[in-house]
Amino acid sequence: MTAPQFDPTHKLTRRQLLRRAGTGLGMLGLAGLLHEENLLAAKSSSPVDPSRPLAARTPHFRAKAKHIIHIYLNGGPSQVDTFDPKPLLDKYAGKELPSGNLSTERLTGAALASPFKFRRYGKSGLPVSEIFAKTAQHIDDLCVIRSMYANTPNHEQSMRLMNCGDERLARPSYGAWLTYGMGTENENLPGFIAMCPGLPVSDVSNWRAAFLPGIYQGTHINTKQTRVEDLIDNIQNEHLSRPEQRRQLDLLVELNRDHQKSRAEDAALEARIQSFELAYRMQMSATDAFDVEREPQHVRDRYGNSVQARQLLIARRLIERGVRVVQLYHGDVQPWDSHSNIKKRHTDCAAACDQGIAALLSDLKERGLFDETLVLCGGEFGRTPAAELNQPGIASDGRGRDHNHWGFSVWLAGGGVKGGYVHGATDDFGYKAIQDRVHVHDLHATMLHLLGFDHERLTYRHAGRDFRLTDVHGKVVHDLIA
Amino acid sequence: MSVTSIALLTALLAQPKTSDSAGVDFFETNIRPVLVQRCYKCHSNATKAPKGALRLDTRVGIRQGGDSGPAVTPGVPDESLLLAAIRYESLEMPPEGQLDADVIADFERWIQLGAPDPRDNEPTTETSNIDYSAARRHWAYQPIQKPELPDVRDSAWARSPIDRLIASRLDTAGLTPSPRADPRTLIRRLYYDLVGLPPTFEEVETFVSDPSQQAFERVIDRLLDSPHYGERWGRHWLDVARYADTKDLVLLYGTDALRPYAYTYRDYVIKSFNSDLPYNRFIEEQLAADRLAKIEADFPRESLAAMGFLTLGRMFDNNPHDIYDDRIDTVSRGLLALTVSCARCHDHKYDAIPTQDYYSLYGVFASAARPLELPLIDEPKNTPGGVEFIEKSAKLREEFRKFLDEQYEKIGDTARMRVSDYLVKVVDDPPDPLEQAVFFMSLIPGRLKPPIVGRWRRHLAQVSEDDPVFGLWPKFMQLSAEEFEGGANDLIAKTDPGQINPLVLNALKESKLSTQAEVAQAYGELLRDAYVTSKESSTTSTAEPPDDATAQLLTVITGPRSPTWFQKSKTYLLMDRPDRDAYHSKEREIDKLAIYDKGAPPRAMVLVDVPGLYDPRVFRRGDPGRPGQRVPRRFLRILAGKDRQPFPDGGGRLDLARAVTAPDNPLTARVIVNRVWMHHFGEPLVSTPSDFGTRSEPPSHPKLLDYLASYLGETRWSLKALHRLILQSRTWQQASFDRPSMREKDPDNELLWRTHRRRLDLEAMRDTLLAVSGRLDRTLFGRPVDIAENPDNRRRTVYGIVDRQNLPALFRSFDFASPDASAARRTETTVPQQALFGLNSPFVIAQAKALATRSAIGNPTPKKRVDALYRTAFARRPTAVEVDRALRFVADANLGQEETETKLTTWQQLAQILLLTNELMFVD
Repeated sequence: MTAPQFDPTHKLTRRQLLRRAGTGLGMLGLAGLLHEENLLAAKSSSPVDPSRPLAARTPHFRAKAKHIIHIYLNGGPSQVDTFDPKPLLDKYAGKELPSGNLSTERLTGAALASPFKFRRYGKSGLPVSEIFAKTAQHIDDLCVIRSMYANTPNHEQSMRLMNCGDERLARPSYGAWLTYGMGTENENLPGFIAMCPGLPVSDVSNWRAAFLPGIYQGTHINTKQTRVEDLIDNIQNEHLSRPEQRRQLDLLVELNRDHQKSRAEDAALEARIQSFELAYRMQMSATDAFDVEREPQHVRDRYGNSVQARQLLIARRLIERGVRVVQLYHGDVQPWDSHSNIKKRHTDCAAACDQGIAALLSDLKERGLFDETLVLCGGEFGRTPAAELNQPGIASDGRGRDHNHWGFSVWLAGGGVKGGYVHGATDDFGYKAIQDRVHVHDLHATMLHLLGFDHERLTYRHAGRDFRLTDVHGKVVHDLIA
Repeated sequence: MSVTSIALLTALLAQPKTSDSAGVDFFETNIRPVLVQRCYKCHSNATKAPKGALRLDTRVGIRQGGDSGPAVTPGVPDESLLLAAIRYESLEMPPEGQLDADVIADFERWIQLGAPDPRDNEPTTETSNIDYSAARRHWAYQPIQKPELPDVRDSAWARSPIDRLIASRLDTAGLTPSPRADPRTLIRRLYYDLVGLPPTFEEVETFVSDPSQQAFERVIDRLLDSPHYGERWGRHWLDVARYADTKDLVLLYGTDALRPYAYTYRDYVIKSFNSDLPYNRFIEEQLAADRLAKIEADFPRESLAAMGFLTLGRMFDNNPHDIYDDRIDTVSRGLLALTVSCARCHDHKYDAIPTQDYYSLYGVFASAARPLELPLIDEPKNTPGGVEFIEKSAKLREEFRKFLDEQYEKIGDTARMRVSDYLVKVVDDPPDPLEQAVFFMSLIPGRLKPPIVGRWRRHLAQVSEDDPVFGLWPKFMQLSAEEFEGGANDLIAKTDPGQINPLVLNALKESKLSTQAEVAQAYGELLRDAYVTSKESSTTSTAEPPDDATAQLLTVITGPRSPTWFQKSKTYLLMDRPDRDAYHSKEREIDKLAIYDKGAPPRAMVLVDVPGLYDPRVFRRGDPGRPGQRVPRRFLRILAGKDRQPFPDGGGRLDLARAVTAPDNPLTARVIVNRVWMHHFGEPLVSTPSDFGTRSEPPSHPKLLDYLASYLGETRWSLKALHRLILQSRTWQQASFDRPSMREKDPDNELLWRTHRRRLDLEAMRDTLLAVSGRLDRTLFGRPVDIAENPDNRRRTVYGIVDRQNLPALFRSFDFASPDASAARRTETTVPQQALFGLNSPFVIAQAKALATRSAIGNPTPKKRVDALYRTAFARRPTAVEVDRALRFVADANLGQEETETKLTTWQQLAQILLLTNELMFVD
């Protein structure tokens, strides 16, 4: 049977809407409703309907990007070994840097030259390390920010800063903010999905909803699991066939319609009836979305054969189906954290994802999804140009680098950003961002802007305050925008 | 040397300055309150033109004095105009009446002590721009007034005061109330309301046979007496208390993350509701059970668990500032519906809460810490294996204690021995942002500790020129490198020996000072030597007390305001990374033993006052690296008035509790009755239950709110009395069905012309499924159980592990209150994840099977079996149509007639569908 449509007379009144949702959720809604009544200056996003909190909503202003894919190189990739070459490091290799070392988590010593070669790519001629040679084929579409900085050289705090805009406090992740702001284009799938083979450092707090309604929390998909049915809670009934379940649901609808007869005015009853229909469809669409086996062999080959490759391919399938935010973490805990033997560890990490990233970018372009998808690639911080000390038993060629929050690189692509463009710079050795610096809050403000939100106005009333992703910080970096 | 200058010198040497806590304490206890109460009115920035241009609200003001000259001459009472004035020897101050003789004596003593005054760097205003008299006009700060009950049109209907207050508003709006709900609806509503469980078919039938008001009241009494009442209403409170069972630390997962004794707080809450503990007492115990236990001989040890209210919040990577903030937030929003945390960085933008008030409360919580060993709240022998457990854990605890002692000793000692290095670092290196409160830094062994460097910086930035030890420091620091050598010599030569500690002067003279670093070095060596000498002499019994000059040095290097001093409970913040890891792993080991050994006897997660209470200062912009004005530990000005006293009892938690529950506090009673009303009706009277500030909507029924608040006071804060009052009203007993003519006028039912229909929340939903399938395990209390991952767990949901860091999807999709912070009310969303849980989760399938089995007892005919299903699930009989429909469903399929491991029978499928209906999930 076909699902009955929402009856417009069942719409919740404004007050019901505000109340059912709790105060905070109502505020976004209120902004929208007031707008309809011309009580508020233009440019409000549309309201949240608590009976359909994931329904797609329009943002503050028209924007190109509708989705985000965040390729999260968790652990902290080294900028001077990837996208920010520093030839002077070769000169000082083994010697103290004339500018001295900055304080980071651990003791650092002499300069450590990059073990990797850089080459210029594309029309823009931007240099990229050999470990990202395939991604580099897309350099004319990448917007490299070399002047990122954060607050602390610790993983936990920096992970949360990068995801939630705060190092310690329980703040919603940007994915939760966006899902709250925009809903999703496909209510048969969660609006925000975070994939990781295992769990990154700071685990669930990376994609949490905090004080936003729980439904906006990222759905964690443990990609160590390969069976599609194991990826999402309760997505499949082990005991009933689809027709059996449909028959069950038809009975449920009958019983609920009986019950509804004398209660026709109550929209909450109808909403719950509809939620079962949504759930029924979700079983199909969710398993379908995660099942990469349904891709032709040549597509799978193009992405490669690794967990990374599978995550990247799933990411494309999810975006294609309207999911709002997809994060894919490189691996359990902090795989890029190369305190020692940076050569081997960075080589291995990059080898696991370079091909897949390149394939994803090509794939998005071919399917016309590139412009509407903002791709972000980077870690929670970078690494020191100086070698880490105090590592007994490690030969000098096995040296690694400490955490570095003073300066690091990320890149953006698609979704309305400039391609073949470098923004900002670190000092001569790649230690510290010095020119056109971009704090994580600025990155967040810019991401929200690209998705159509004014970061100062995407707010939620909680504990007496209107909270926002960027707290009291953040400036949109207009130079990044095409 | 004249007598006066000897006296002056003595006074200076004795002068404690900012680093002497005894003198400052004397000021805080005996002087400041008097100045605030009796003098500030005319002699502070509170007035535009202080009388005689004299300001007594700052250190500078009191020293420089006004038109008549300096108000005090430190060390010389007889030369101090202030003393003459309060003695009524010259001016007669305060004019409205002389101070008591002992207060005057205190001032004399204070001046003799050198007039220690910590109020350096204080901003000049106490309360910026807040206009309190205007602020106090806000409805929430008005005294609670028991309203006159209005006359109403239908006085027969309006049986109770609640009804009259409701009916009067309905009358005005041209609305009429709905009739009493039918008995079945009423009894079911009552069960969910009070115990969160459905009534059985038999219980419903009994009530249907006599639905009188008297019979109804008997059911109310029975349910209020049921232990399940506390499970239902205690859970409401746990939302406010942001209760969680786990630690939110990194790399700590699953049951390893449990706080082994968190459950004792949850159980305390349930028991308190069940025993109808007066709400004011409930608050006092939650904030200060440790103090009550000291005062009251018969204090039940078990009630120490109450303090989980404060201690079960997030851990914020062990950042103390955030932990105190969470406590301030939970207390202020949870109990007072004031958003005090908004004043952490700046005065509250909308409400009359200055940062000073925030830091007054900060001081209360910063003066308390968890004791190294949590107190047992029951005899170990009452827990099976309890005595053995205590023995088993004793060794671990001893090791832990020893480790902490050693670390405390070592870190303090090293910091003092290396004082030169610290001072040189302060001089030579620019401040590193990581020095500022970076509590989670990995500290590198052998290196200077950035937090201590930061504390030296702040200490030195705050010294005043008349500081006998560091008074010259700022002057040295102003000298440029070129002029340094000559300038330094000049400075030393020009220094009046009476103005400076002779040992300092001597050391500076003897050193060749050509750079600032050498000044730092000289100071450092002097301080270290004083420390070393005192350490050595402390080991010999014949040691003489240090002379005054040495005592001043020792105050700087070892005193409680020294940059090298720290609370023992905060030692972990200064441990080197490997030590800190070892410390935490020992701590975790002890916890783990208690998590996995069922013999661990219950303990209470208490706080106790720390030795050396914390004297709060405002952190400018909320930055602990920028301490400003000192404030006393005391209550909020908007509630307690300008002349409120500092809290006298220890760190002040008990005083705080008493201020919260004071009869003239207009908020506390209103806040709790509003919460209780919300849980009875689905909608509160004030739509923002944790924010009664100026940005909240005023109450929909202000008189009713005040009536209920007064009633609570009259019944000695009995919540059960309040439940009775509400449940016995006709307002509560109204039907919920639609009346379009009423809905047109009041679509949101704001005036309560009917009852709101409500959906079951997570707990009621899950408990209902267990109850109707006959599988509910009604065991009370105890350690939390895994209900999210284990579909076979049959305990009530309130006992399920609340994992703050990784709240299970089940909890999140069913709108469970986030335990990150005190929750005002739950949101209510409708999402497919809820339906997926109903359709596919092993838990629901298990209940469906059990319900189907239950209906087959006695091998009934199919028709009778349908009847049994309906009676069990809905506590009613099915209609003929429903029976036919069910029988068709069961018989129609070719499949599913036989039960197998993997297949559900059609009876089981039917049972599952009944469990998913709106009829079961909504309460009319």
